[in-house]
Amino acid sequence: MPGKTESGVRRIINGNPDVGSVKWVKILKKVHGPLCFLCYVGALVWFVMLGNKEFNNETYFSENALLPGLVTNEFNGENAAKQFYSELLREMEDKYEDLDDMPVPWLVGKMSQLHLEVYTHNFTLNYPMGQGQVFQGTNVYGILRAPRTSSLEALVVTAPYRALSTHQKGTAAGIALMLAFAKFARPQKYWAKDIIFLVTEHEQLGMQAWLEAYHGLQSDAETFHTSLGSFWKPGSPNLDFGSYFPGFSWEGDHKKCLNPGKLKGRSGSIQAAINLEFSTPKIKYIEVKIEGLNGQLPNLDLVNLVHKLCLKSGIHHSYRNSYSWMRGRNKMDEWTNSFKTMFDMVLSQIDGVPDGNHGLFHRFGIEAVTLEGRDAQDPAGTAPRAHALSTANFYRLGVALESILRSLNNLLERFHQSYFFYLLAATHRFISIGQYMPSLCLLCVAMLIRALSLWVTTIQQDGDDEADKQASKQTNKPKPEKEKDSDAEELGDQKSEEVKKVPKAKRKKKVDDLSMSVVNIGANYLLVHLIGYAVMNSPFILSYIGNYYDKPSEYSVYYGLIAISVFLTILTPFMPRFFRKGRITYEELSLVNILVLIELSTVCLSVGMNNFSLGFVIAVVYTPLALMCSVVVLGAGKKSAFYLMIKRLVCLLVHPLVAVSLSMIVYSSFLFPEEGFLGMLSRGSDAAMQATMFSIVDSMIYGNWLFNLSTAVILPIWIIFWQILSIKVAAP
Amino acid sequence: MGSLRNLLYYSFFLTYFLCVRCDDFKEELYIKPLPPTHLYSYFQFVTLVNSELSSFHSHLAPRSLAEVVSRFQVEELHLTLTEGQWRHHQWGYPVLDAAPGAELYAWFSPDVVDVDTQWKKLSATLSGLFCASLNFIDNFNTVTPQMALWPTGAVKSSQNITTQLRYASLPREIVCTENLTPWKKLLPCESSRGFSALLNSRMIHNTNYHSIGVHVRKVCKSNDCLETQLEFKQTVALVYDYDIISSNDWSFRKLFGQGLPGACPLSSDSKIYVDVTSNDTQSFTLTPPPDNVIVSQRGGSDTKLAVYNINPDGQMINIGVKYKSKPDLPVSVPPPLHFTRYILGYGKEFGGIVTEITNNLWTSINVVVLENAPWWLPIQLSSLRINGEAESSLVQSQYYSPGRSRQKPYHLELLMTLPPKSTTTITIDFEFVFLKWQEYPPDANHGFYVGSALISANLPTARNYTSVPITGSTFDSFVNASKTWYPIVFRTNGAMVSLPTPDFSMPYNVICLACTVVALAFGPLHNICTKELVLKPLGTPVSLTQKLLNLFKKKKD
Repeated sequence: MPGKTESGVRRIINGNPDVGSVKWVKILKKVHGPLCFLCYVGALVWFVMLGNKEFNNETYFSENALLPGLVTNEFNGENAAKQFYSELLREMEDKYEDLDDMPVPWLVGKMSQLHLEVYTHNFTLNYPMGQGQVFQGTNVYGILRAPRTSSLEALVVTAPYRALSTHQKGTAAGIALMLAFAKFARPQKYWAKDIIFLVTEHEQLGMQAWLEAYHGLQSDAETFHTSLGSFWKPGSPNLDFGSYFPGFSWEGDHKKCLNPGKLKGRSGSIQAAINLEFSTPKIKYIEVKIEGLNGQLPNLDLVNLVHKLCLKSGIHHSYRNSYSWMRGRNKMDEWTNSFKTMFDMVLSQIDGVPDGNHGLFHRFGIEAVTLEGRDAQDPAGTAPRAHALSTANFYRLGVALESILRSLNNLLERFHQSYFFYLLAATHRFISIGQYMPSLCLLCVAMLIRALSLWVTTIQQDGDDEADKQASKQTNKPKPEKEKDSDAEELGDQKSEEVKKVPKAKRKKKVDDLSMSVVNIGANYLLVHLIGYAVMNSPFILSYIGNYYDKPSEYSVYYGLIAISVFLTILTPFMPRFFRKGRITYEELSLVNILVLIELSTVCLSVGMNNFSLGFVIAVVYTPLALMCSVVVLGAGKKSAFYLMIKRLVCLLVHPLVAVSLSMIVYSSFLFPEEGFLGMLSRGSDAAMQATMFSIVDSMIYGNWLFNLSTAVILPIWIIFWQILSIKVAAP
Repeated sequence: MGSLRNLLYYSFFLTYFLCVRCDDFKEELYIKPLPPTHLYSYFQFVTLVNSELSSFHSHLAPRSLAEVVSRFQVEELHLTLTEGQWRHHQWGYPVLDAAPGAELYAWFSPDVVDVDTQWKKLSATLSGLFCASLNFIDNFNTVTPQMALWPTGAVKSSQNITTQLRYASLPREIVCTENLTPWKKLLPCESSRGFSALLNSRMIHNTNYHSIGVHVRKVCKSNDCLETQLEFKQTVALVYDYDIISSNDWSFRKLFGQGLPGACPLSSDSKIYVDVTSNDTQSFTLTPPPDNVIVSQRGGSDTKLAVYNINPDGQMINIGVKYKSKPDLPVSVPPPLHFTRYILGYGKEFGGIVTEITNNLWTSINVVVLENAPWWLPIQLSSLRINGEAESSLVQSQYYSPGRSRQKPYHLELLMTLPPKSTTTITIDFEFVFLKWQEYPPDANHGFYVGSALISANLPTARNYTSVPITGSTFDSFVNASKTWYPIVFRTNGAMVSLPTPDFSMPYNVICLACTVVALAFGPLHNICTKELVLKPLGTPVSLTQKLLNLFKKKKD
């Protein structure tokens, strides 16, 4: 009885065959368009409203043990700091003028004189792209052992070393302040946690190497199977690509990329870290930087602590567009300022690149912030009315640092209270995860509503077709649904009875050309995702090929990715045909559409849980496409052909690579408004090239998600949308 | 047979009558600078009692402790309460090493059948005696070391000693004055006279490291070891930091807050030893000048000791050191064997414990490493790697006893040969476990303590070695005591892991909410159940006089 089994299968697929006539389904079908649009607009409005004072909260201390600002400040190392500062500058000018190296002997000598336990740490970077350059670096750190403790907990004070030749601001004053503080802190007997004073080389690279070494992620520690970014476990089969390509070394392995080396001395588990970036003691204000790797943030308590203690020590402080000495005069002013600060934070979180050395600590479960000293005329931007501010000095900075560290010293437990997920609207106002999540959820709800309405339309269509035919035969019988909506069940029974009456032969034919083959769709779906995975791993091959033709790896990777994208754009619409003889049907493509909508909304939500900004921006960019996208029917009118062209254009615009290049062009036109159109284009594409390369290298060295996410998840989703828009199917 | 019984009888009586004279009490202080910035001072109070029986009637030995020893049939007992970490690679080796927190291990007499019960009774009694949380010692944190620990006292050679041994450490224990006071009361002079007068709790808790200990063992009375004596040794180890006491020149007054008011009149010998070996490189003057300076050659290292004999004349003595020049930075030479222990990895899923042991000598050293992980940190033997290899030729012998949840800790012992001039890394992985909510300690997010590992080694050289030889009990025996091996037991540093911890504030909030609801519901319900509703006539006007009267009535009440 083939007919009977098939109808059983269809029942299972369709679920309740009467679903098409339930009241809410009808309403949903009618209003889903405007409803989705409303959700989208609502999400954006909600997001804008978050800047308003009524929608965010004043920050507060959740952890009582911090006891901020209760101690009497005793810092007396102002002269020492001045001396360290001038000695370090002289040392750098005398011996390291043209070198990039760090004055390791000087630092080791100074720290030893302060009676710290001093160690050096060497690390090596095998640059994963290009000709395999090798970079080496050295970090210097000194440990202040707290008396009467067995070194179970530690705090870290760190400063990156920047050579004189660098184009960035120096950090000599930060290092001097750190040393002066070490000198002050060493004879104190109240420390309950060790303090590690760390000077790192090569910016974030040195920091990452030190942290990996501290947590024992050596390149040869193979027993430890949770090494950074590797899913391979000992004992599981390992796919060795090297054996397939003789002479080609598979450098994608993180372990081979950054060799963190070994540490000779350690302390206990690190509770918190403060990163100092001061080029000169004569700063106007301190910028507190918090964004970390993959948009991770330090505990809000630590951020509050730093802001409050800066205030107490008489130092002006800021966070992005929010300045401690500028308070809004009216409500509108405040709102726009808060929104600007919040939006700036969101933008900076998207790329997942930490904006200071503190950002690498977060991944290891250590709360950290950067204090950056800024002058009135700073490369990062000019703060309003900063000229009028009083200038800070080593004394005040030292007092601030002392009170921060003594507060952290009071901690009994690690930071676990307060918020880990938040947005800051000002230095003293925040938006918690409960307040910002609705905007992302609304976007995802729009997509899910769209998926649901597609689902009820598709399942109804094959039921309806038959019912309609029946109905047309029995024209004299009026449709009962118009009479009464309440007894839907009765109606459904009637309908199913009607369906049963359809002649078997006719129905069998219909089933043949419907043939909802889940396997075919599934194979296509899987293959698209595998392509995404392959693209994620393509940079090695691209740069390898580039090397072969003596091209720099930026060029080879960027243009290689463009070539791959063009190739995929042309090829993928034909892909579903590989698996089947006949044309793909309307139902199948609708199912694909539903699946991709659910996948996209899930991805946005789960990314948004970790990095709200990234999830939100993906959702904002892709929701219009997801709502627009629908299965294209053969032989539609001219108007719909025009709409289709627009849809395809939008789809092409939000291709990840196109989107990145476009945003870079727009960004460079903001930065250099005087450039012509062509100049802007070339600048933008250069910037996009750099950005792509950075994101690839970041993903390899630091474990940044952005490149992996956009190639392995977003690209396949885009390809499926593109397939849906490019394939024309027969109308059901 | 009869003559032997007679002999025993007589000797018993003899000891009984002579015990007043044969009890012996000695106090010693050993001071050693640990360049560049630290100073080690080690107090040792040794009481020798002729035999177990007479200790009840001794006028010197602490009766409370002697009772504990005889009641629980303890052969040998070691208890230390320590705050801080001895830094072996900087400071060299202490006379007696101790694990951070509380550490207790004891051998019971072979007559004891149920060792575990005796052990629990012993720890509970000692907990009361020293005001320490030793009562938290239970089966789930007790191990029986197979190779790492050996008795230092006299035991019969035929005796099976490992089965009678129990070892436990409590790394979370915080040591304070409340532990020092009962400890001082065990001394014959308490804290009124003698060296113990220096142990001013205000000063000794300002050190970088302090450890108090009680060690009871049996020692041979003579060379043939037919009879044994009971030795009670009480120790205090202090490490001062020059930076914290804010000068390199030290004196008793600076270190202990007062001078030494003479020796304890009950002591037969009171001596102060100051290690003046570093005087050759960094000259200083010792005031008052020592009675004599002895040079000890031991195992290839020369030590110069300035000796003071202290009389119980009650004269204040303030020994001090003044450096002639401002000290430059000496490069500290690491000791022959040093080690470090740390936790590998981050996150709340997997981790590992690493023990790195460095041998600086040109010969290989045999060591026994005892890894002792609590039950909530399950370590798997399959993940044991030595220098990254699963099968290492360095391991001579291995003992592993898997733990059981809430009952038994994980215990791994390795007998290894460390190759010359090498660093050996022992790695073992663990998984994090979820605890029941009542098992979390207060301040659950503080982290969980992993105790130190034991490393017992036979050192071929006596460089940095300060321990008293096993046959001796005082520093006299230290001089020129060259041996083939210098046995020592080290404790590595502990570690802290943070287990997955639930948000404890949530149950608190729930409790608050529930209590509020109950309180709100209780009031009206109570009112309804206990009070009677009575109709009150309304509208009867009260006259002015009535009102006034009512007012007075209330006042009367």
